[in-house]
Amino acid sequence: MKTIDLVNKNLAKRYRKEKLFRAYGLASIGFGLLCLVLLFSDIIGKGYKAFVQTNIQIEVNFDAGYLGITDTTNTEQMFAANFEGLVKKSLREMFLIKKRSDKRLAYSLVSTDSGYQLHDLLVANPAWLGTTKKVWLLADDDLDTYYKSVDNLNGAFTGRMQEQQLVWIKNLLDNDALQLQFNMNFFNLGDSTEPELAGIRAALMGSLFTLMVTMVLSFPVGVAAAIYLEEYAPRNRFTDIIEVNINNLAAVPSIIFGLLGAAIFLGFFGMHRSLPLVGGLVLTLMTLPTIIITSRAAIKAVPPSIREAAMSIGASKMQVVLHHVLPLAMPGMLTGAIIGLAQALGETAPLLLIGMVAFIVDIPSGVTDPATALPVQIYLWSDRPERSFAELTSAAIMVLLGVLIVMNALAVLLRKKLERRW
Amino acid sequence: MTNEIVYDATVGRPLLDDAKMSMRGVNVFYADKQAIHSVDLDIGKNQVIALIGPSGCGKSTFLRSLNRMNDTIDICRVEGHLMLEGQDIYDPKLDVVPLRARVGMVFQKPNPFPKSIYDNVAYGPRIHGLASRRIDLDEIVESSLQKAGLWNEVKDRLHAPGTGLSGGQQQRLCIARTIAVSPEVILMDEPCSALDPIATAKVEELIAELSQNITIAIVTHSMQQAARVSERTAYFHMGHLVEVNDTEKVFTNPEHPLTEAYITGRFG
Amino acid sequence: MDKLHLDQHISKQFNADLEELKTQMLEMGGVVEQQIIDAVKAIETADGALADKVLRVENDVDNREMKLDEHCTLILARRQPAASDLRMVLAVAKTNRDLERMGDEAHKIAKMAIALNEQGGAPGGYTELRHIGSGVQKMVNMALDAFARYDVEAALQVVQEDKNIDREYESAMREMMTYMMEDPRSIKRVMNVIWALRSLERIGDHARNVAEHIIYLVKGLDVRHVSVSEVEKQLNGS
Repeated sequence: MKTIDLVNKNLAKRYRKEKLFRAYGLASIGFGLLCLVLLFSDIIGKGYKAFVQTNIQIEVNFDAGYLGITDTTNTEQMFAANFEGLVKKSLREMFLIKKRSDKRLAYSLVSTDSGYQLHDLLVANPAWLGTTKKVWLLADDDLDTYYKSVDNLNGAFTGRMQEQQLVWIKNLLDNDALQLQFNMNFFNLGDSTEPELAGIRAALMGSLFTLMVTMVLSFPVGVAAAIYLEEYAPRNRFTDIIEVNINNLAAVPSIIFGLLGAAIFLGFFGMHRSLPLVGGLVLTLMTLPTIIITSRAAIKAVPPSIREAAMSIGASKMQVVLHHVLPLAMPGMLTGAIIGLAQALGETAPLLLIGMVAFIVDIPSGVTDPATALPVQIYLWSDRPERSFAELTSAAIMVLLGVLIVMNALAVLLRKKLERRW
Repeated sequence: MTNEIVYDATVGRPLLDDAKMSMRGVNVFYADKQAIHSVDLDIGKNQVIALIGPSGCGKSTFLRSLNRMNDTIDICRVEGHLMLEGQDIYDPKLDVVPLRARVGMVFQKPNPFPKSIYDNVAYGPRIHGLASRRIDLDEIVESSLQKAGLWNEVKDRLHAPGTGLSGGQQQRLCIARTIAVSPEVILMDEPCSALDPIATAKVEELIAELSQNITIAIVTHSMQQAARVSERTAYFHMGHLVEVNDTEKVFTNPEHPLTEAYITGRFG
Repeated sequence: MDKLHLDQHISKQFNADLEELKTQMLEMGGVVEQQIIDAVKAIETADGALADKVLRVENDVDNREMKLDEHCTLILARRQPAASDLRMVLAVAKTNRDLERMGDEAHKIAKMAIALNEQGGAPGGYTELRHIGSGVQKMVNMALDAFARYDVEAALQVVQEDKNIDREYESAMREMMTYMMEDPRSIKRVMNVIWALRSLERIGDHARNVAEHIIYLVKGLDVRHVSVSEVEKQLNGS
């Protein structure tokens, strides 16, 4: 038998194996994509409703006498006025309530924040004083949940709703007095025990401040360390040990860094708890090994011929590094840094240990204001019993993912801009 | 006959009266392995010397020790006296930066910086502060490119990337970059091995022109190239300098049987 | 012993090429040598048929010369030989030319033989012709042999031998002159002998050239236009 016949005989088998091999690869990618789609559809399915909120239309008589306001620009008068009473009065009038027990039920249909909303409305529209207006007020989370699920096939989710409340809601629905509006609170407010008043802003700002500290510290330090180790350090036992330790540090569980941070920054240096500064420091410790390792790889990837070229015309070591190695390695370094930062952004455990798990209502305005972080906020909300918080949790995850996508897009952009061919 | 290898003294004329660089008793080690064994060699002023020999014979190592490019390799150690016009280049007090400005190097693979053609050539003068005004720098760049025979090909696109040129142009750009700092000696490590015959011919022509006022040492695997461009030829074998003679002599009637065997292609 | 190691190239084809070159040249040498023997014999024995044969062979020699030249050119173009290989090709090319000239001279001798045949014998000079003829033939033979063995000693002997031939040629010339003075009517025939002698002397010179090519080939020394003692001094010096 000729060789070519033997080859032909085995050809079919070889092609079959080849196809199978490719199919394995495709299947793996398919599985990965499926998981991703499941994850996203679950999160988005649960969370998209959190971006809108139910509002109730109520007729309010801004009675100057009742409120005791003569001049809307007088903050003292405005502050002293009983807007909450006005809300309750309006509700009573609207639902024609006599019974004492019904009053409480009626009041709980609107958010606890309603008085402030009326106050803000009057500040914005001073002419309304003494007139009767229909205004939209934020609904309570129970009503919100009910209204969002009112079109469900298996009936609306009633939860803690009372018989009487359902009757009123039916009435409201008939009068088109319920409406979904964009959830500004979610992006403008800090945490709250009331879901309709809970927002992501405090956590987002906390995360950004933390990340800023991490970036400012870890990138220069990491790059400098990488340059020293690659370009200057002699090869000996000592640098070998350093290298092994850096690689090990990258694999240390993040909670250990949290413990370390708590011990050093809180215990030894006596810094305050819950500060983005401390969080940033801890995350810097965690991110450094990643940045050093990727930066070293980027430096190693610079062709030695470029170094030789620069050296052979008499560039000093520093000039070789600054003029040639660093610009060529920068895209790789930035990518590494952004991967490290993205990792830091998603980190919860070390932040729990240094107290960034606090209940933060006020938006932090600097690295020394108490703050929490996005993943911690998600963790906190996922633990709350109210059904609306489940929605908020998913929405917060979407925000977190959004920030990550923006960061990665930035990484790609920077790479494209800085990358040079050689 | 190649079995009876005897490494006595180098045969031929390794020493000269008017040497630009003179090496005496040079030993080079990589860790414990000796790569160069007691080499004595003079390189004549404004001469072209070709270093030939089989792969791994140490010719590149020797070449790279002439401007201390071996310094970057931690395990590499150089012994002996290497003098550039009477100055010991391995003197611990000697600054290696000006040394490399005096003794430039061109590599096997063209390695222009990923910058513009202009910046490639201007890099050396810039770091050494050779031109204080922009117009002076322009002049250096132009004359270097002219000397490298590249000016007419690139004068309209000085700010295009140097890496966009063809292989031969890139190599001449690298030579222009080297001569921009007016070196006294240029070391060339197989400068044409990645080039086609036409580009090679251009580089060889350039070598002939440059050798009018620059001393050149060239490592090459092409015997014909060594024969074409050099005035003297040194044959290395297993880290030993076997023979140094006028190129004409080496290629018609070499003295050492090893040289003969190598240049006639009789290594088995 | 093959001191040049021409058969030790990495390229076996190159070995074969050089070997073939040498064989071709020696074959041609053999033909030329036979031509010389025949020509001398033809003039000696007034053998017109033999002389005709010498004339015919001339074409063969010319063809061989061209073929060998082509072969040399091809090796130069293809291999760019260096050192001993280069000297080998050059020596063969030059020897080739010398052999062809020898052939030409043998051709002339044969023509003289035919002329003498037609005009009747010369009054004398045949002894000298035979003597110098055999000496020259020996030189050619030795030179070719030396080439085959790359033998510098033998080549040196050839160079020395050429001096003897030159001397003998001088004395033969003087004798021929006496013949001509004795009997002016024989001048035409004596002249034929002189031309033949002159050709033999030229063949000797070419043999000396071949010997010099051998010295160049083996030692890399150019010993042309140098006296014999000087050649020996250079050889011993190297």
